[in-house]
Amino acid sequence: MSLEPKDEMDHSGWMEQRDLSPVEKGYLTVLVWLDKRLRIVDYLEIVENLYYKSNMQMPKSHTEQYNLDNKFWYWYPLYALGSLSTIAYVVAALSGALLGFYYAPAAAAGTCGIDGATVAYCSITSIMTDLNFGYMLRSIHRWSAQVMTAAVFLHMLRVYFTGAYKEPRELNWILGIVLISLTMVFGYTGYLLPWDQLSFWAGQIGVEMSLSIPLAGEWVAQLIFGGFTLGQATLERMYILHVFFLPFVVTTLIAIHIGIVWMQGIAEPH
Amino acid sequence: MTDTESDHDPEPTTDGGEDVRADGTGIVAPDDETPTWRERKERSQGLSQLTYEYFERARREDQDLRTESTYVERDVLAFPTWPHELIRNLSITFFFVGMIIFLSATLPPHIAAPADPSTTPAIILPDWYLYWSFGLLKLGPLNPELAILGGEKLLADRTYGVLANVVVVGFISMVPFLNKGAARRPVEQPFWAAVGVFGVTFAATISILSIKNLVAPIIDTHLLFDLTFLLPFVAGFVAYGLLKTMREGYMFSLNRRYYRLRPPK
Repeated sequence: MSLEPKDEMDHSGWMEQRDLSPVEKGYLTVLVWLDKRLRIVDYLEIVENLYYKSNMQMPKSHTEQYNLDNKFWYWYPLYALGSLSTIAYVVAALSGALLGFYYAPAAAAGTCGIDGATVAYCSITSIMTDLNFGYMLRSIHRWSAQVMTAAVFLHMLRVYFTGAYKEPRELNWILGIVLISLTMVFGYTGYLLPWDQLSFWAGQIGVEMSLSIPLAGEWVAQLIFGGFTLGQATLERMYILHVFFLPFVVTTLIAIHIGIVWMQGIAEPH
Repeated sequence: MTDTESDHDPEPTTDGGEDVRADGTGIVAPDDETPTWRERKERSQGLSQLTYEYFERARREDQDLRTESTYVERDVLAFPTWPHELIRNLSITFFFVGMIIFLSATLPPHIAAPADPSTTPAIILPDWYLYWSFGLLKLGPLNPELAILGGEKLLADRTYGVLANVVVVGFISMVPFLNKGAARRPVEQPFWAAVGVFGVTFAATISILSIKNLVAPIIDTHLLFDLTFLLPFVAGFVAYGLLKTMREGYMFSLNRRYYRLRPPK
C-alpha cells in the first residue's frame, strides 16, 4: 500500500477513460497543468460572471421590437463614428510609435543643410525623404490624426442630434467633452513637433493664450510651454505630452468611455 | 462551527471575538455564506450603513419592476453594443481605414520652412480643428467698454477670448442637465435641434472669421464679422421652422402611436 494519499481528483484516469483525440488530450493536459498552479478555473468563472452580469445577453432592441428600422436606418452609419475615431486612434498610435524611432525632439541646430533647421526639423525631413516608407508612415500618422479629430467632432454632433446624451448618459457626455478637448490637445502638441514656421507660431499663440488667463496665466505658460519664449524646453514638453502623458490619459479615458457605452447600451432615436 | 467551539466560555479575546480557524478552510467565504445587503447593513453603521440600505432598496426596486412587468423580455432602453453595434461599425470603420491609407499615399503632409522667431509669417494658423477656438479669441470688438471705467475694458481682449472658449465648452457640457425628457429625434425637440444647428453654423462661421486674412479678398471683413453672428441665428430659426412643420407630418403621428404603445415613464 502506497504511503502517498490517493489523488482526490484523478484527472489522468478521467482523461484515459474519455477516449480523447490528441488535440483534446493536449488541451486538457495544459489546462489541468496550468489550473493546478494558477487556479485558472476561478478566473474563468469571474469572467463568465462578469459577462452575464453586464447584460450581454441579446434582447430585442426598440427598433426590432416595433419594426422601426425602416424609419431610422439613415442614422445608423453615423453610429459608427465613435468606432471610427477609436480605430483611427489605434492607427495613429501604431504609426506614431514607429515614427518615435526616428524623431528627435531637439531645438539645437540641425545638420541637414537647410538654413535655420533644427535637429527636430531635420529628423522630419529625413523621415520624409531618406527613410524607406518614412513618408508613408508620417502620412498615415497625420491622416489618421485628422480623421480621428473629424470623426470625434461628427460623433459629438450625432450624439447631440439623436439626443443620446440624455439620462442615464450625462456623465459619458461630459467624459466625451473631456476626450474631445484632449484630442485637440493631442493634435496641437503633435502640430508643434516638426518645429517649422507653422509649429512655432502656433506655439506662440498658445503661450499668449495661456498668459491671458487671469491669475494663473504665467504659471500655466511655465507648466505647459516651459517658459514665455519658445525653445528647447517647449519642444521637449510638447514631445512628452504627445508621446507619454496624453497617450496614457486618453487611452484610459477612451476605455472608460467605451466601457460605459457597453454597460448602458446604444441609445436609439425612438 | 463545531459543538466544542460553541461551548467555549466567553474568554477575553484580542481579535474582535471571531473564532480563527487554523486549518485553512475559512479563508474564502463559500457562496451561500456571502452576506446579503441586509446583513451588511445590519453589521455596519454610519455612511456605509446608508450605502447598504440604498443598495437593498435598489435591488428590491429592480425585483419589483421585474415582477410587475408584463413583457416577457427584459425592458430594453437601448440596443446592445455587441453584436448589434460592433458588427455594423467594424465593416464601416475598416472601409475608412482603407481610406486613411489611400489618402496617406496620395496626399503626404506638407512641411513649412524651419521655425524662425525673427520673421512672423503673414498667415499664422493652428490646425483646422482649432479654428473655432482661434476665432473665439478674435471677439475683441464685442468686448464691452464700460462707461463707469471711462471707456476702459473690464477684461483684456485676450482674456475675453479665452473666457469665450470656457463659456462655449461649459454650455455644451451643461446640455444634458438643461434638456431632459424622453424625446430623442430632432423632430421631437425642435428647439434643441435648432440650438444644435445654431451651434454647428456658429462653429463654421467663427472658423471662417478666424481665417479672415485668407478670405479678405472674397468677403469684406466687417461684413464677415456681422455674418458670423447673423447666419447662425438664421440657420437656427430655419431649422426650428422646418422641424415644427415636419412634426405635423408622418413621423409625428408614428411617434404618437409609438408612445401610446409604450408610454414614457
